[in-house]
Amino acid sequence: MAQVPVQTIHRDPQLFYWILVPITIVMILTGVLRHYATVLMATAPKKLDQKTIREQRSLLHGINVRSNFPVLSKHSFTTRRDVLTTAYESGAYLKDPERRGQAPPNPMSDPSSMEGMMGMMKNQMAMIIPNTLIMSWINAFFSGYVIMKLPFPLTIKFKSMLQAGVATKDMDPRWMSSISWYFLCIFGLQSVFNFLLGNDNAASQMAQQMGQMAPPTGQMFGPGVDPDKQFLAEVENLAVIEHYSVLDGVEQRLLESATV
Amino acid sequence: MAPSLLHPPSQLSPAAALQLSQQAPAVLQSSPSTVSASPLSALFSASESPELWTKYENLLLSCLRTGDERAAHQCLERLVARFGDDNERVMAFKGLLKEADAANNGQLELVLKEYDQILSDNDTNIPITKRRIALLRSLGRVSDAASSLVRLLDFSPTDAEAWSELAEIYLTQGLYAQAIYALEEVLVLAPNAWNIHARLGEMQYMAATAPGAGTGAGPYRKYLAEALKRFARSIELCDDYLRGYYGLKLVTSKVLKDSAGSAKQNEADEFSLPDPATIERLNELATAKLSEIVRHAAARDPGWRGYDELEVTAARELLNKDASALPEVVR
Repeated sequence: MAQVPVQTIHRDPQLFYWILVPITIVMILTGVLRHYATVLMATAPKKLDQKTIREQRSLLHGINVRSNFPVLSKHSFTTRRDVLTTAYESGAYLKDPERRGQAPPNPMSDPSSMEGMMGMMKNQMAMIIPNTLIMSWINAFFSGYVIMKLPFPLTIKFKSMLQAGVATKDMDPRWMSSISWYFLCIFGLQSVFNFLLGNDNAASQMAQQMGQMAPPTGQMFGPGVDPDKQFLAEVENLAVIEHYSVLDGVEQRLLESATV
Repeated sequence: MAPSLLHPPSQLSPAAALQLSQQAPAVLQSSPSTVSASPLSALFSASESPELWTKYENLLLSCLRTGDERAAHQCLERLVARFGDDNERVMAFKGLLKEADAANNGQLELVLKEYDQILSDNDTNIPITKRRIALLRSLGRVSDAASSLVRLLDFSPTDAEAWSELAEIYLTQGLYAQAIYALEEVLVLAPNAWNIHARLGEMQYMAATAPGAGTGAGPYRKYLAEALKRFARSIELCDDYLRGYYGLKLVTSKVLKDSAGSAKQNEADEFSLPDPATIERLNELATAKLSEIVRHAAARDPGWRGYDELEVTAARELLNKDASALPEVVR
């Protein structure tokens, strides 16, 4: 079996200094810039007005009563349950009681939720624009030749990705062009950014993409959630509780466990 | 436990607070006087840590307590330099310093007016709301403070600090039922807080023994029964809890003393007192535990430190009184 001769290409060592290093430095600097751009563009969380706070915390109050009811005596618990049920059913805690029973407003038309979407748009833009710019920069200046050889073998499928702009049919896919170095930088600079900017930086695109894949679940007070429905559900939860108290028989437990 | 600047200094003894505030010059000197919020300098200078700001806050409080107002002002300046004038927490600290600097009630009234001004701009500023309530209370306008607290709790009913403050205010006014209700709300938010369980037991005991409550009536026995159970629960949550045992001993002695004959008739949804034998055993347990704690605390045994000096003294007195009263009928 004939050994495939190892391909050797003599490259100018200057390629290394004038292409690999500049691309890497540019990528790092863009990452740092993107981090600070995101920090500067971030809007402070919007202040809630008193009625919204009241609505949300009253619901939380009900949830607390429901989950911690054993600390109360039966009398105290039923008092609270009656008060909360009446208030929830009459909509006393709602932000605007007149709107009760209507469909929740379209989240697209609600200005407060628009702000959140604007924030997301801004983040997207901060990622897309520099990437486009750098890619076109690399394509314009450094395309058409290979710059280095990877130290591990690859299958033929990688050829079109690694050797973009180098139309040589027989060349080993291990030879890569500048654009593939760019991709390697995108995915491999995470640890560099962690070192430079701390752990929760906004420079890495990987983290942002992860975030998009798993949207935050359990939005209790997000746009499009009808608080009235939440209150009514909480009324039901409260109603089905069969009360017992942690104080029942506590003396016996104490006498059994305590030793002098 | 040595006092640390990372814990809020509200529970410290005067000596510990003094010790903390005497660290002030060292702490102020060892950390940089300004930490810039601008990103460029953050890239080159040492990164700030949340602990630093916690330290400044606690140092500020300790210094105010011990009268070192110069250091307190320095702490405040650094907090302002970092977080700006309109941060809600910083605003509350600024107000606190102004209250400390005020020489008489007239100046305090001015501070109060400032708080009102801030709150009329932004009625969700909870730190300032709480400062205002505390100021009202220290000015002696207790009912105003109570009504402000009720308003705060109406829109923020998940605030354990405010509920317990309300409970204390009601207690000072002798409104036991309201105080107990407020303290129960604290328990709903923090179901395993043994100190709150014991405090609730204390309030119920006070409600039962308050003049005018009467003995033998329904609420009297109900309060005593629940107080007993609250104390037992607090001990169950925290072994060797002195306040819990102290309360348990008080309640059981009280019940044993006046349980001669009075049959219990309780509604279904109230707690009832356990049978006399159990109460007797609980009383013995509490007495034994209290004397053990007092003995160990007096000998300063390792593992028995951390008891409050005054509480141990009170427990010793309770035991002595009990012992001297033994020959005759228990008082």
